[in-house]
Amino acid sequence: MKEKASKRSRSESMWGYIMIAPTIIGLLVLNIYPFLDTIKLSFSKTLPFGLYELRGVQNYVKMFASAEFWRANMNTIYFCVLTVPIGLFLALVVAVMLNTKIKGRTFFRAVFFLPMVVAPAAVAMVWKWIFNTEYGILNTLLMHHINWITDPNIVIVTCAIVAIWSNIGYDAVLLLSGLQNISQSYYEAASLDGATKLQQFFHITLPMVSPTLFVVLIMRLMSSIKVYDLIYMMIEQSNPALTSAQSLMYLFFRESFVTGDRGLGSAVVIWTVAFIGVVTLVQFWGQKKWVNYEV
Amino acid sequence: MKKLKKAVLLLAVCLIATLIGGCGSGASADGKTHLTFQIWDVNQRDGMQAMCDAYTAQHPDVVIEVQVTSWDEYWTKLEATAISNQMPDIFWMHTNEILKYADYGKIADLTDLYDDVDPGFYQEHFSEVSLKNIQGSDGRYYGVPKDKDTIGLVYNKEMFDQAGVAYPDESWTWDDLCEASQKIYDATGYYGYMAYGDDQLGYWNFVYQNGGSILADNGINGGFNLPATQDAMRFYIDLQKNNWCPDQNYFAETSPGTAFFSGQGAMFFEGDWNILSEMQNYPNMIGKWDVAVLPKCPNPANGDGRASISNGLCYATSPTGKHYETVKDVLRFFGSEEGQRIQGESGAAIPAYIGLEDTWVGVFDQFDYRLNVECFVDMFDYGVQSVNNKFRPTWKPDVSDALLKIYSGQISFEDGMNIMQQAVDEAALED
Amino acid sequence: MNNSSLERARKIRTAGIYAFFIIGSIVMIFPFVWMLLTSFKTVEESMMVPPTILPAAWQLKNFTDAMASLPFGALYKNTLLMIFWRVVCAVVFSSMAGYAFAKLNFKGKDLLFSIVLVQQMLPSQIFITPQYQMLAKVGLTNSIFGLVFPGLVSAFGTFFMRQAYLGIPNEIAEAAYLDGCNQWQSFVKVMAPLTTASMAALAVFTAVFAYGDLMWPLIVNTDLNLMTLSSGLATLRGQFSTNFPVMMAGSLLAMIPMVVLYLFFQKQFIEGVAMTGGK
Repeated sequence: MKEKASKRSRSESMWGYIMIAPTIIGLLVLNIYPFLDTIKLSFSKTLPFGLYELRGVQNYVKMFASAEFWRANMNTIYFCVLTVPIGLFLALVVAVMLNTKIKGRTFFRAVFFLPMVVAPAAVAMVWKWIFNTEYGILNTLLMHHINWITDPNIVIVTCAIVAIWSNIGYDAVLLLSGLQNISQSYYEAASLDGATKLQQFFHITLPMVSPTLFVVLIMRLMSSIKVYDLIYMMIEQSNPALTSAQSLMYLFFRESFVTGDRGLGSAVVIWTVAFIGVVTLVQFWGQKKWVNYEV
Repeated sequence: MKKLKKAVLLLAVCLIATLIGGCGSGASADGKTHLTFQIWDVNQRDGMQAMCDAYTAQHPDVVIEVQVTSWDEYWTKLEATAISNQMPDIFWMHTNEILKYADYGKIADLTDLYDDVDPGFYQEHFSEVSLKNIQGSDGRYYGVPKDKDTIGLVYNKEMFDQAGVAYPDESWTWDDLCEASQKIYDATGYYGYMAYGDDQLGYWNFVYQNGGSILADNGINGGFNLPATQDAMRFYIDLQKNNWCPDQNYFAETSPGTAFFSGQGAMFFEGDWNILSEMQNYPNMIGKWDVAVLPKCPNPANGDGRASISNGLCYATSPTGKHYETVKDVLRFFGSEEGQRIQGESGAAIPAYIGLEDTWVGVFDQFDYRLNVECFVDMFDYGVQSVNNKFRPTWKPDVSDALLKIYSGQISFEDGMNIMQQAVDEAALED
Repeated sequence: MNNSSLERARKIRTAGIYAFFIIGSIVMIFPFVWMLLTSFKTVEESMMVPPTILPAAWQLKNFTDAMASLPFGALYKNTLLMIFWRVVCAVVFSSMAGYAFAKLNFKGKDLLFSIVLVQQMLPSQIFITPQYQMLAKVGLTNSIFGLVFPGLVSAFGTFFMRQAYLGIPNEIAEAAYLDGCNQWQSFVKVMAPLTTASMAALAVFTAVFAYGDLMWPLIVNTDLNLMTLSSGLATLRGQFSTNFPVMMAGSLLAMIPMVVLYLFFQKQFIEGVAMTGGK
């Protein structure tokens, strides 16, 4: 019996390694090696064509002394503050509405989800056209002359609007699946106790959907901190708002590929990863206070 | 779960198939030598293909494939290929980057390319500006000149007619430019000269017309502290303060070309390499617009007030490519009269080869309305080599940022000039 | 409260919900309508102040211009192939690894799993240059494989499939083992079929994100005939800069097949995505 068990555990080990091999090898080669390389570059002075000299922390010193870097931090945080709470709130409202038994909800659900099946490049193009200061339809409707794309104080809001518009359906669908798992009996009991719809929302819906909300929150927060493609597509190189609207990852891209200072760019990435790490830890610690796993 | 097994099997087969299929960069199944030719301008693709076809017609054992990457990604990609020693067999090289690539040994020294045919080939057939554009820091030639260009003034004839202003000509000065702009704006409500935040298509021309320069005489330090440079830049930047010129915010959303060809403005500066595609892309506008030489500076600090930035691309190759000898033969053809003639006749660009300018001019005979494209050729007489030094990739983004900040009022003109000067000077120090 | 006032409150609520949805739908659909209308206008007309709503003449030049610049047939094909292979790889490899991490015991499991977690924190932009160099070394740029390359394995997928297997009781695998299956057989024959819903969810999720990938396809494949819809559109932008009618036409051509597919399969599609947020 004992011999059989050890034989079994050996075969289990073997199959374990075989089955994770493609994924682990892939991750090591495709992702972890580039990351270690980035760490190394962040401590180096980089020359053209991948050459470098290890130089210690000078990139970090330069980075922390740069006003552009702190501005990029503020921009990233501002973008997160705009997209995450507002975006999630709107998505939750949509999800709650979709969870009512009204006619045509499948249709409305499909409509909100539509942006997910359109290439982000196309989404950015049409929004840039709508937001165009001179010839855009939005300023015509508002009868104001707002520099949606070129005013450094507004352009982040503009990008946030596009981000929320693009993601609202996706987030709502995830939240909806959480809502649908809530048993109707809770609501019936609450109704009998005379709770209003609003009370029901705060005392039943919100706690019960909190695990899903947590997953969506983490996902949205991560992608907001890493925002890059959207800004790349919305803001042309000739835009006066460019330097004042760049996110951390955009700063990385400009330093690494436009200015050619890969070392400084790498330092920005390491900072961003640390930033994400801290935010994630805070979230997992904070979730104990508000996420309800008792269901 | 047979399906899953099948899928895994299929995947393996496919991956292996792609692997085998993808390794075709060497001598492949058909026994021919396959070369890749990387460019960044979609509009010139057909012209480049025609040139390659002419070569492969004479050399059936060679196949050349033209590939286009847009400008924004071209250099990221080219540098990555250089690091991994997998550069395309032939590629376009720009004056912005040639010094970096040449100095690090990433592009081949082609000074001796024509020695067997004619040792004086380069000097006989290409202008001094063209040859400067292909030199590394050591003065040797790292490319075969491809084309040469100048900047011209594009104008909307209808708007000039409506405002009763005479068309731009050789005698025009900066004052005429502003005066006409004001009259057109007053008469039609459309913009006049659209002066946007660009170097080659913008302020560089004004700086050199005024006798200033972007780099000091040593070619290393900046020239932004010279009074002649500052005066011209101030003049150019302040043009956006006129009611007849849109501000930089406008140009960030609407390029001057789009504004011009949708009838929003009367004039802008354009490079000759875009003229043909603009004729083709805006058929409704044919007959309504024309081109002229750049207006001159009325009271230059030095010189005669004339200048037009003249740049030129070249064809380059890696010194360690697998097919180096074949590539050299192709490059020899690209630089020859025959190769350059095909390029000119395709309308792609003005050939660098002296005496073939008319092949490009002749392309415009196909249109019912004949543009005065000769003006681009005339301006070679006073063309100024596009600003360049080895450190340009480092200072250029900082200079552009500072320019945008002056436009948006985040920094004063004087501070902006200091930042630009510093950016150029420090780029050299960091090396 | 009597019945009729309850009934009235319900009606008002329903009306409110409809009002919300109708306004919401307008906001969601309007950009596409505007894209469609603009794509038929000339560039002159598109820049009129105030703008016209309907095109003065419904002209097709923008579409022919866009089609002359981009080989749309090839773009559709490449995009579909890229999505297909990324989905297959993600589902197959993630299922295997997810199963192993959830159900098998082996040394170093936690350490190895932490690689999966760390990967999810890294911004994908830092992978581009190294991955490109790997491909270039073996001469595989400008190929379908090049497009698939970064999606060969999926950290998110592994994490997600592990969750799915954790939800299956150990007794089921145990029973298979007693029937004489080895680990691989019990995975393929017994366990994997129980997770088809999760696999479908992962497939949809992978497809959506592969479709939106922009930077990688732009860098890795520069042959126009090997581009994806996203990178093709970015190339179109490089060519037509701010000529919006042509770009709107190009965007429409790029999105129509996907939207049609979506309209047919929207139920499966949305429900697939819904699962990825669960647990």
